[in-house]
Amino acid sequence: MSGFRHGAGRLGDAQLNFTFDGKPMLARVGDTVASALLANGVEVVGRSFKYHRPRGVTSSGPEETGALVTIGSGGKADPNARATMEPVTQGLEVFSQNCFPSPKFDLMSVNGLAGAILPGSLFSAGFYYKTFMWPAALWYKFYEPSIRAAAGMGVPPKVADPDIYDRIQSFCDVAVVGGGSAGLAAALSASQSGLRVVLFDEHNVLGGQLLNEANNEANADLEQWRADTIAALEAASNVKVLTRTVCWGRFDGNMLAAHESVDGKVRQNYHKVQAKKIIIAAGAIERPLVFGNNDKPNVMLASGARRMLNHYGTATGKMLAVFTNNDSAYQTAFDYSDAGIQVSAVVDSRQYPSQALLDGCNSRGITLHTQAVVTEAKGWQAVRSIEIADLAANGQSVSNRRRVACDVLAHSGGWTPQVQMAAHGGKPPVYDKKIAAFVVGDQAEDTYSVGAAEGENGLLVGVAQAVDAAKAACAELGGKAGSVAQPPQDRDGATNIVPLWSVPAKGKQLVDIQHDVTAADVIQSHREGFVSVEHLKRYTTLGMANDQGRTSNVNALAIMAECRGLSIAETGTTRFRAPLAPVSMGGFGGREIGKHFKPVRRTPMQEWHEKAGAVFVQAGMYMRPQYYPQAGETIDDAYERETEHVRKKVGICDVTSLGKIEIVGPDAAEFLDRVYINMFSTLKIGKARYGVMLREDGIVYDDGTTSRFAEDRFFMTTTTAKAGPVMAYLERCLEIDWPELKVRVSSVSERWGAMAVAGPDSRATLTAAFPSVDFSNETFPFMGVVHAEHNGAQMVILRISFSGEMAYEVYAESEHATDVWQAIIDAGQAYDIVPYGLETLGALRIEKGHVTGAELDGRVTLGDVHMDGMASKKKWFVGKNLKDREGMVHPDRPQLVGLKSVDPRTPISTGSILVTDANASAGADKQGWVSSMTYSPELGNFIALGFLRGGKDRIGERIYAAYPVKGKTVEVEVVSNHFVDPTNERVKG
Amino acid sequence: MIRINCPYCGEREHSEFTYGEDATRTTPDNDAPMEEWNKFVYERANPAGEHIEYWHHAFGCRAWLKVQRNTLTHDISWVGLPHENPEAAS
Repeated sequence: MSGFRHGAGRLGDAQLNFTFDGKPMLARVGDTVASALLANGVEVVGRSFKYHRPRGVTSSGPEETGALVTIGSGGKADPNARATMEPVTQGLEVFSQNCFPSPKFDLMSVNGLAGAILPGSLFSAGFYYKTFMWPAALWYKFYEPSIRAAAGMGVPPKVADPDIYDRIQSFCDVAVVGGGSAGLAAALSASQSGLRVVLFDEHNVLGGQLLNEANNEANADLEQWRADTIAALEAASNVKVLTRTVCWGRFDGNMLAAHESVDGKVRQNYHKVQAKKIIIAAGAIERPLVFGNNDKPNVMLASGARRMLNHYGTATGKMLAVFTNNDSAYQTAFDYSDAGIQVSAVVDSRQYPSQALLDGCNSRGITLHTQAVVTEAKGWQAVRSIEIADLAANGQSVSNRRRVACDVLAHSGGWTPQVQMAAHGGKPPVYDKKIAAFVVGDQAEDTYSVGAAEGENGLLVGVAQAVDAAKAACAELGGKAGSVAQPPQDRDGATNIVPLWSVPAKGKQLVDIQHDVTAADVIQSHREGFVSVEHLKRYTTLGMANDQGRTSNVNALAIMAECRGLSIAETGTTRFRAPLAPVSMGGFGGREIGKHFKPVRRTPMQEWHEKAGAVFVQAGMYMRPQYYPQAGETIDDAYERETEHVRKKVGICDVTSLGKIEIVGPDAAEFLDRVYINMFSTLKIGKARYGVMLREDGIVYDDGTTSRFAEDRFFMTTTTAKAGPVMAYLERCLEIDWPELKVRVSSVSERWGAMAVAGPDSRATLTAAFPSVDFSNETFPFMGVVHAEHNGAQMVILRISFSGEMAYEVYAESEHATDVWQAIIDAGQAYDIVPYGLETLGALRIEKGHVTGAELDGRVTLGDVHMDGMASKKKWFVGKNLKDREGMVHPDRPQLVGLKSVDPRTPISTGSILVTDANASAGADKQGWVSSMTYSPELGNFIALGFLRGGKDRIGERIYAAYPVKGKTVEVEVVSNHFVDPTNERVKG
Repeated sequence: MIRINCPYCGEREHSEFTYGEDATRTTPDNDAPMEEWNKFVYERANPAGEHIEYWHHAFGCRAWLKVQRNTLTHDISWVGLPHENPEAAS
């Protein structure tokens, strides 16, 4: 218990209830979880990532490294939330993380002890890599589970998130990132041009570091300036102010990505904002000093402690000590003292702080220790005292160690400009000695970095820079930005920092507090030969926690530079990448989740299939009937019955998913001659022909049937999978390769519902259904095409077969397709017509030896599928030049064969490897693979299609289909891929 | 997000487009030797910097466009029809 509600600040008296680990607590409206926990005296908020060290609140902002909590429960649980960024709402549930049974008493904290005893122990630098080098057998059994149990943060919820997330795409002329004094001024100035302005700020209250200022009479005019500026922005119709919105990345074409938290039906909005100009006023954050136990609860950044008091009215302790290497932290001591809180010491590593600071301490009776450092924070769980010592003039050693009492230590290692967003523009930041931090060097195009984000902490200077940037940005867009009232007071930005990268004393000195990376880890990785900062980062995992190294980066680089004897500028920084803040996955998904992830395509006959009890399967985007089970039937029973029925009588199948393309124009025939390997210019009107396309490299691309409706009009079908790609390919050919051809292509896939009617009774069925059409063999032979009408619905009927049976494909206008389907069903009752699904479609085509996508997998040549004879020698076509290369026509290539299991009732698994040895081991000579399989009712045997090395000449051989993963080996006979009706009599019957 | 100024539709986000292929290659004659076709199909310059390529406005007007893109910065400096080129347009 050290923090308490002091009462100053900007929050009102209105109260809220929330719980922490189930314990009820009070908060004020406007509190963050962090300020409320501190006000309730909570010191230990959770345990750290690797060592399970107790952790508390370390800041008041996005740089929080200690107070990571889980917000909410069940599907709404949000793990690893920064307590400093989460507003308390009525009834909010907050949970500590990574501790068992409680944050105050954690069984796993022995990890930290192990780290102290064993050099290079389990969790020191590079442990991920070294652990993998231990006996591999132990990894899964022991190390992996125990590390998982020991290290980690919040637990992701196991149930789906019930909340709604939205994506919003918008445009603006000037985007301002950051709503501190500079950002407010830039936005207000830009708004006066009339251009569209968006202002992002991740806090729920605008003002940035102005909120660190005491809200008292002396600052009343400054507070008024903040209020007036915000009011003016909110009144401007061309300005969108987005608070609680973290702008986390900048992408090509000035696209800014931001996540906005909202209260209401929608939990978060993911904004993609297309900006013309970007003003970055992201401010700076304070970085910690590196000394012993600098991660102990109640060790806080000075600015964080100050905002807790001055904005939230929460005193972080009853006795404050300050440790600094620059001027800025003194104000925290002064404000606490002025608020009536005891300040036991200011420890300044510099020799000569300015007279003003000395006077400030003297007048308040604060003891100042100059040329001194804190060597260690002391206390069982939270700070109860500090050990301080004098720093040698060379900075390499300490002496005269002594204790100072305090229950909160505010420290400041200087200020780090938030350059990430600017760096996303592509230009690396550069080191600025004056402020001992990296600043934006060259501004990226369309970008203006201003104020503290640019290394300028002064209030008036920052605001002036911001207004200049707004004017420049607007001028380039043809607008005129206005001037903005100057803040009535200034704040000097000079910190007079003398860098102190780490305190020369023993103890656990954390550099990356959130990821438990110590100064010793950085030094160790240097000793182990890591010199690049990118490697340092990955080896130690420094900066890879969800604060993205905001507070740790500069300190680590400085320690590394010291090890290498280089300057920090020479060492450089790691590359900044988006997202610069943790963002939820929910926003990215937006509403396109679950069944809305992809649109589902349904054929016109969907409702009919549903009523008929079809079981559906996803085929591409389509939902297609897989089979139509009768009472008590399994999937195998159903497809075997349907298959047998089609071979004996008649069946009907929905084939709407086929791609359909109409090709029209005087050069249409010439065009098809170029894209297909076989001739289409000779195709007679009213006839269809099977065609095969190759890629430029000679590999088979797609197949389908194309019919000629008129001299200049063709109707192409493609496979379901290639419907889109073939269309794009044909467009490409016409626009890029052969613009001289007078041809138009258009996709008519949606225009036609398609159904295959197959079986010996298909002719009789269709004759009964459509009496006006003459289906006789003479007028409507195999590969014939007829246009017809049914009750006003246009139809195209093709006599083609994918099953080997006499068959027709009926294409009917989509809006009438169900009527046509029903007419066929009705007429087919006399012949016991059955609907059949995708399983039977597959079984029939495998029996007949037809290929589909399973065979035409992008590796197959014409010869592999016995189609080399189809390629025309009389003309050029795409793929002709390369199809006959040596490797493409080699007799040992895997070629399409049929396979029959020697024991008829033993299935052959798709994906099996073909081998000649029944006991083949992993190193066996793999001679091919199985691409499709089915049970063939006609043969009473399981059969398959596959590719076998030199398969053409191996008919009759007995080999094995091995499936090592399942330990299955099936003896199979190599046969022709035409299992059924190899002489092709039935289709012509 | 890369933005491409389609001559038919105006400036659109690249998610409306599909990358096609290198537009700097010249298709060999139909009867050119196999070696020449082999080169055409398999060899690419892969430049670091300005590059001209085909993009398909697949979720827009479905036109195939020629686009000059800097492969290092993703800056798009020119967009035209397949039979135009940057020099002629500028």
